[in-house]
Amino acid sequence: MYGYVRPERGELKVREYEQFRGVYCGLCHMLRKRYGIAYRFAVNYDFTFLAMLLAGSEPVSACPRRCPYHPLRRTACPQPFPGMEAAADYSVILAYAKLRDDARDRRFPGSILFRLLAWAVRPAYRKAAGLRPAFARTAEDKLKRLSVLEAENCASLDAAADTFASILQAAAEGAEDEDRRRVLKELLYHLGRIVYLLDAADDLPDDIRTGVYNPLRCRYTLQDGKLTPEDEAALRTTMQHSHNCISAAYALLEENPYAGILSNTIYHGLPAVTQAVFSGAWRQRNKKERSRL
Amino acid sequence: MNDPYSVLGVSPQASDDEVKKAYRDLARKYHPDNYHDNPLADLASEKMKEINEAYDTITKGREQGSAYTGYSGGSAYQSQSYQQSYSSGYSAGGSASYAQIRSLINANNLAQAEAMLNRIPNHDAEWNYLMGSIYWRKGWMDEAGRYFRTAAMMEPTNAEYRNAVQYMNHGGQAYRPAGTGNMTQTDMCTVCNSLICADCCCEMMGGDLIPCC
Repeated sequence: MYGYVRPERGELKVREYEQFRGVYCGLCHMLRKRYGIAYRFAVNYDFTFLAMLLAGSEPVSACPRRCPYHPLRRTACPQPFPGMEAAADYSVILAYAKLRDDARDRRFPGSILFRLLAWAVRPAYRKAAGLRPAFARTAEDKLKRLSVLEAENCASLDAAADTFASILQAAAEGAEDEDRRRVLKELLYHLGRIVYLLDAADDLPDDIRTGVYNPLRCRYTLQDGKLTPEDEAALRTTMQHSHNCISAAYALLEENPYAGILSNTIYHGLPAVTQAVFSGAWRQRNKKERSRL
Repeated sequence: MNDPYSVLGVSPQASDDEVKKAYRDLARKYHPDNYHDNPLADLASEKMKEINEAYDTITKGREQGSAYTGYSGGSAYQSQSYQQSYSSGYSAGGSASYAQIRSLINANNLAQAEAMLNRIPNHDAEWNYLMGSIYWRKGWMDEAGRYFRTAAMMEPTNAEYRNAVQYMNHGGQAYRPAGTGNMTQTDMCTVCNSLICADCCCEMMGGDLIPCC
């Protein structure tokens, strides 16, 4: 995933900001413990959100920890909980799937690096896929489907977005309660849809330059390498629709210790990121925030 | 039944106004309009029922306990429907299989409904509308919008199709907690500009808003 799902920092309480940092660091520690130090690259904001979303409703106790990257700072990480373990496993599975996908997309000399990386990640992937077989199967199937759609230059936004949305939706399968699983599935499907469309909008200029498949280019007409204002409005409306489905589903979830951060991400973070992607400010903002955490 | 106060998220000591406010906020959150044709509509309607019952229990209990007679009308949001009913209205004019497809869609049996639709060779307005409804339930909003628009174009007088197009055009609606509205910030410049504008208008009409300019 791509880091689009993040809280709006200015709207977080200080306590929530620290909680958020704790989960981020906790996820990193967990990846290190389960898969080895090299896998911390798989941590990002999206999986931090997923870990918090999958947390149970009981309070989480914190334990201060140091890490080799910030030896002077002790972060209050939460005690590992099942949702966090799941998010760590999913992140490894998706990272591997994405490397394989990248290797397939590129021609011979460029693909070597991705093939090597995928080969290096394979043992961890095997372990994660053994722990979460259903998720790994869905990820593999849907990414295969996506490459078929890409090859035939599919002009349906929904069909292309459905692949990624379905992968994310599979992350809800671990929920035991039937109603909760339904709500999470709906929420994650539309979150995946938004992330996919955001990524397509963000990559549009690059994809036009390099000639890589982009659903927006096939679905809409472009003017000087940009969407026309009407098409951009249509795209934003359909994303708004998904956002409303996320809000409707989120309202039905039981509150958990991270409710403040989750609702911040949904009601402030996502709209702000969407705005930034469409105004072109996203790339700069992304760089700045990464260096600050 | 759960404790009615914990359902509304207020303490038993809360004043009548606080209870009412909590009830109103929750009712706004789970309002049927926010779950228009949503696959989770049944869960929202259960929640709504629970809230209504809790509110009724509290108000009735308080009426009996004290001489309070302020509010006795029961809960306001009871009889709204969550599910858009596909079986009513226009299905009467369509063929028998359309009615069957509508009931399949209502039962969330999308795969079978889609298979049945695909077997119908004649793609008229209702066919497009139903296909749009299936896509909408699947979360494929862009495709759904295209089918709805085709349906409305083929039969411009049909209110059901027109409403669907309108709903797609404004992107639906959802609950947002207070204070998380659109982030259009009003800064001091905007305030001053508006005041100066208002002053100019007043002066044109012979009055004055800011006497010094």
